[in-house]
Formats: sequence, structure tokens, C-alpha cells
Amino acid sequence: MLENVCRYPSEAVVERLREAERGLETAREKEREVQKEIVEAEAMVAKVIEEIENPRIFTVEVLYDGVKKPFEVRIEETVKHLLDKAIRAFGPLPNPHTLSLYKDGKELADTQTIKEAGIKPCDVLLLRPSKVKGGV
Amino acid sequence: MIYRLTQEMLETTFEHFRHCGHGREECQALWLSPWEEPEAITRVVHPKHVAEFGGFVLDDAWLNAFWLELGDINCGIRVQVHIHPHEAFHSETDDAFPIIHRSGFLSLVIPNFALGPVGFDDAYLTEIQPDGSWRPVPIESRLVMT
Repeated sequence: MLENVCRYPSEAVVERLREAERGLETAREKEREVQKEIVEAEAMVAKVIEEIENPRIFTVEVLYDGVKKPFEVRIEETVKHLLDKAIRAFGPLPNPHTLSLYKDGKELADTQTIKEAGIKPCDVLLLRPSKVKGGV
Repeated sequence: MIYRLTQEMLETTFEHFRHCGHGREECQALWLSPWEEPEAITRVVHPKHVAEFGGFVLDDAWLNAFWLELGDINCGIRVQVHIHPHEAFHSETDDAFPIIHRSGFLSLVIPNFALGPVGFDDAYLTEIQPDGSWRPVPIESRLVMT
């Protein structure tokens, strides 16, 4: 009996197909890894943007009697904490209870946090008396 | 510190008082000097305020703008000057609500709505002490005319 020597597809072609399939799987694996890296990089970008837009620690300036001084603040600190620091830095200032911090023309409540008061990096806050008056 | 003041600036100050106070209302002026040379008074500022017989109050919005301007021009307020209807002295209100709270800050009071001769006749000068109290000081010990 004669052996059938004609095979289709040939062994060589089948082997090439297997190689191609392995290559495809490898490429898909790489794609999954790259996709994972893209997701991680996107998350990092979002986190940094969040930190830039809403930093937890930053510097503001306080202006008293024509002099500006920088102060580092944390968003959870109170305005009173910054006020006390500024009074010490500009001091000694007698009667500190008469002084307040002002932002955009408005007096800031001592009990508010830096975040609640809407204080942003590089803001210039005014340290000034709440009232200036005189009279007999 | 002894501050130097020109006669022209003193005259300007009296002009503000007479023009604004009309001989019947209290008024304030501020004497400024640069931080590089604090002893030399170089500017007279007439604050926006509400005045009435018996007192004056500085305008809050003006004060905010002025505070920023002080930073821009690098000047500090050395002396606040205001007028009284009759005798010159420092009232409880004057003591409690100065524009600057710093030891050595001066407050000058001119009597008779500044209607008398331009000068320091019967004027009253007082200074903030380290404990926040005010103490009268001789005018010549703090102000020199140039």
C-alpha cells in the first residue's frame, strides 16, 4: 500500500503558523503591559495635577505696614494659626487682638481653615487692624 | 527714632485738615517714609474716611487698597496725625484704634481743628510702648523740621 506523501498544509507551513500565533500572543502580552503602564501614568498625571491645583502645603505672603513676609501654610491649619505666626514675625506687635488677616478685601474668620478660607499658593494677605478710628 | 519732616509737608497736612475738616469735623493724615530711610518723612496721605463732630472712621476698602500701595512703594506709616476740636490729647478711641500697632509708632494730635498757625503749638504727641500702652513724648524728641 502506498503512503500518502502529499500533506496540505505542509508541516513547514503549520510550524510558521504556530510561530506567528506565538508572536501574536507575545505582542498582545506587551500590549497589556503597555496599557497597564498608560493607566498608571494617567493616574500619576491626575494626582500631580490635583496636587498642583490643591496643594496641602504651600507659601503665602503677608503684608504689614509696607513689608511682605513669606509663610508656609498647611490647608488644615486655621487662619488664627497663620495670624499668630504673622504677628510674631512682624512683632512685637502690641494689642494683637486688634489685628486680622484680609484676603480680597474681606476679613478672614480666625476659626476657618486655610482651605475653607480659600487661601491659595502665592496669595498676598493683609495683616491690618479691623478698625481705624479716632475721636474725642 | 527722630523723624525729619519738611515745612511743606506740615503745611500740606494742615491744608488737608482745614479743607476736609471745615473747622467742625475731625480728620486724619498719615506721614510715611521709605523703609530704606525710615527717618525721612517723604509723603503725606489723606485717608478716605467718614467724619463727624466727635470722631472719624477710615474707609475699609480704602484701607485695603492703601495697604497694598504701601507694599508697592515700600513705605511704612510712621506717624498718624489728627485734629481735635479744642484741646489736643489722646482719647480712649485714639488709644484703641490706631492704624499701626507697633512699639515706637507715633500719634500727633493738633488742637482747634488745625485752624491755628501751622506748627506744633499746643499739639500733643504720644508713642506706643512695648506693652501696647501710649506714653506722651516731647515733640522735639521725635520730630525735627528740616
